[in-house]
Amino acid sequence: MERAVPHAVPLGQMEVFQALQRLHMTIFSQSVSPCGKFLAAGNNYGQIAIFSLSAALSSEAKEESKNPVVTFQAHDGPVYSMVSTDRHLLSAGDGEVKAWLWAEILKKGCKELWRRQPPYRTSLEVPEINALLLVPKENSLILAGGDCQLHTMDLETGAFTRALRGHTDYIHCLALRERSPEVLSGGEDGAVRLWDLRTAKEVQTIEVYKHEECSRPHNGRWIGCLATDSDWMVCGGGPALTLWHLRSSTPTTIFPMRAPQKHVTFYQDLILSAGQGRCVNQWQLSGELKAQVPGSSPGLLSLSLNQQPAAPECKVLTAAGNSCRVDVFTNLGYRAFSLSF
Amino acid sequence: MSSESSKKRKPKVIRSDGAPAEGKRNRSDTEQAVEIEDRRIQSCVHFMTLKKLNRLAHIRLKKGRDQTHEAKQKVDAYHLQLQNLLYEVMHLQKEITKCLEFNDSGVSFPNRLAEKYRECLSNKEKILKEIEVKKEYLSSLQPRLNSIMQASLPVQEYLFMPFDQAHKQYETARHLPPPLYVLFVQATAYGQACDKTLSVAIEGSVDEAKALFKPPEDSQDDESDSDAEEEQTTKRRRPTLGVQLDDKRKEMLKRHPLSVMLDLKCKDDSVLHLTFYYLMNLNIMTVKAKVTTATELITPISAGDLLSPDSVLSCLYPGDHGKKTPNPANQYQFDKVGILTLRDYVLDLGHPYLWVQKLGGLHFPKEQPQHTVIADHSLSASHMETTMKLLKTRVQSRLALHKQFASLEHGIVPVTSDCQYLFPAKVVSRLVKWVTIAHEDYLELHFTKDIVEAGLAEDTNLYYMALVERGTAKLQAAVVLNPGYSSIPPIFQLCLNWKGEKTNSNDDNIRAMESEVNVCYKELCGPRPSHQLLTNQLQRLCVLLDVYLETDSHDDSVEGPKEFPQEKMCLRLFRGPSRMKPFKYNHPQGFFSHR
Repeated sequence: MERAVPHAVPLGQMEVFQALQRLHMTIFSQSVSPCGKFLAAGNNYGQIAIFSLSAALSSEAKEESKNPVVTFQAHDGPVYSMVSTDRHLLSAGDGEVKAWLWAEILKKGCKELWRRQPPYRTSLEVPEINALLLVPKENSLILAGGDCQLHTMDLETGAFTRALRGHTDYIHCLALRERSPEVLSGGEDGAVRLWDLRTAKEVQTIEVYKHEECSRPHNGRWIGCLATDSDWMVCGGGPALTLWHLRSSTPTTIFPMRAPQKHVTFYQDLILSAGQGRCVNQWQLSGELKAQVPGSSPGLLSLSLNQQPAAPECKVLTAAGNSCRVDVFTNLGYRAFSLSF
Repeated sequence: MSSESSKKRKPKVIRSDGAPAEGKRNRSDTEQAVEIEDRRIQSCVHFMTLKKLNRLAHIRLKKGRDQTHEAKQKVDAYHLQLQNLLYEVMHLQKEITKCLEFNDSGVSFPNRLAEKYRECLSNKEKILKEIEVKKEYLSSLQPRLNSIMQASLPVQEYLFMPFDQAHKQYETARHLPPPLYVLFVQATAYGQACDKTLSVAIEGSVDEAKALFKPPEDSQDDESDSDAEEEQTTKRRRPTLGVQLDDKRKEMLKRHPLSVMLDLKCKDDSVLHLTFYYLMNLNIMTVKAKVTTATELITPISAGDLLSPDSVLSCLYPGDHGKKTPNPANQYQFDKVGILTLRDYVLDLGHPYLWVQKLGGLHFPKEQPQHTVIADHSLSASHMETTMKLLKTRVQSRLALHKQFASLEHGIVPVTSDCQYLFPAKVVSRLVKWVTIAHEDYLELHFTKDIVEAGLAEDTNLYYMALVERGTAKLQAAVVLNPGYSSIPPIFQLCLNWKGEKTNSNDDNIRAMESEVNVCYKELCGPRPSHQLLTNQLQRLCVLLDVYLETDSHDDSVEGPKEFPQEKMCLRLFRGPSRMKPFKYNHPQGFFSHR
């Protein structure tokens, strides 16, 4: 049976190696620039690529617009998490958090502004940092990951102010409750913990896997993703994707998704989730699946909504995961195109 | 001066003299004396002034005389120069008038010139005579040299310097077509200068080669030739169109009767025999290859294609598959006789690889097809060394694979002692099957789509399937072996059957395992020339499967113990958002960690 195979240019050693690298690339994190026109993506090789969303979305976009404007080696290990402040891009992965100036990042040979490592307990292996969270009210950054603690770092001084202990296994994800302020963390130990930042104490624990309706023992008990909206919290991972009412610690809605979800977020009156499987899932708060839009990667690890007020024309949803591509959804109904490393 | 001394003395004298006589004529004497004094003083002053003026006058005079003298000297010098120049001018004018007189009159040259001329003539005659004598001498040498060479033959053989043989070869080489000649000359030169393991020889019939250039009617007029042949052979019936076409094809693909043989001997006494042919009507060269080993090789089933003449030299340079003619002009010739592609004839004619054309000095530029492509020595020389080295590397890597395949088919992954450090001492998963699969079958597999889409699964590659098992777990590995192994790594795609089917599309850890062998292959190359790459990759696959199975998180809902108890030392089981297993082996501590 004839299969339409693309006619290849004779591939030497370098081309084969680069092709293999791209095939085995995983994009773990994304972050939108403060001006809203650029998107940073971090991969498993420690590289960060900056894409120009405005160029790719414009009417004169060519094939080259889907390639990064600049790619640089940011870390030695994978870049698991990134966030942006109004001037900086913060990236973390292999135990360190580094800051880059957005204004300088497009220039070649950009160097990090600073790098900090939280005081770790273990010394054998450097624990990874899986999640970064900005707390605007106190101008601090929360890091969490392999050493099972939440560290807070003051962005002004760079000093580490708190270390919140309680998880018994490594932490996957963080979410912020603006009002209190309180932080939620979800980890490999299957628990979602609520921390009060003022008292630096754990105030609530929800062990998701202990609730029969949502537990999925064959997937494991790990909590891979968290999102919160006032009194509500949605989390997923090994157990099913579930919506919780925080004050009463009760699961109100279980979303019928078999595959473990790796990223979840509230958007307008919907919940968007993605994980194992190609699709970005859109859920009604009632638990109904509104839409499933397939992306180009066989599994997704991060979703990013560009809601920067400065660039309304770049208001898109981008999804990335087990491939070298970032899918761009201009409208939640279909995938418009993909950016590629 | 006396006036001065008197002036000095005078006041004393005046006082001494003036004192006694003063009483009487006081006033008038003293007044007179004073006046006289004044006058004397004045006169002294005048005298001094006079002297001074005199002196000055003398000095001025002297100065004036000096200046005049200088000026006079200068003028004299100029005068002299003027005289000299005038004299020269006069002389030159005389000469000129003399010459003019000569030219005008056309009077014969002075004798000396004529003499010189006669001398030269006689010299020339002498030299000519000498040349004649020397020529005769040299021609008499020729038979003497021949006899010496004959006499020296036994000495040559004794000393292993077969000059005579080489001489004969060069004689034959004169009848080679230009590309083969270029190859012969360049290869011989390279062999003598850089590589003693290369030997060059010419095979075929010199008489036939000579016959090609005899009466033109024989070679040029194809139709009459073939007609003549047909008339001789089949007088019974008229030849069919098909047979005519067939004959035309044969004629077009005809090879020159002479061929050049290159033998490359490798370290382990295996030899690569290359025979180069020249297709006269197509103006391209082809090569046939054969590998012989010191001891006879028993070919394992999966190793069939490794050393076969058809594929052993495929893609020596990336993309050079040798299935199409490199000369674009040939396509028009092919159309006339109904040949679709040279591919159908390569088994018989040999492969027209691009490097073969280059060694023959033939270059076919794609942009501007040229009418006559001439064999160029420099093109051949510039490619000779690289090509010879690539050929040797190719043969040795194929032979290494050959040996390894024999072991793989028996379920043993042959890991050499200098690569043991890459793996833990205990590896439980075992290779149970190693077979070759067809290209089409590889394309059909459901877990190889990514590789196919990336253009890494061409039909010039070799494909294999390995099966690794432990307990109830079965791991299939589809392998793409690029002809450029081992500089281009083999590519693995995995499918695990254990508690369901897991591939890189539904299990991040399977994807990580593929990455460990495909992307991190440089660690597995082993000592140069990296012949251990494939076997190390397979061994790593076994280790990865061990880790995968032993670190499987226990499902609380299922009763009973884990099928694979954890024996591997790991610092942590899962890490990162993708919950990766610890696949990286650390030597010599022996524990597993994450990349």
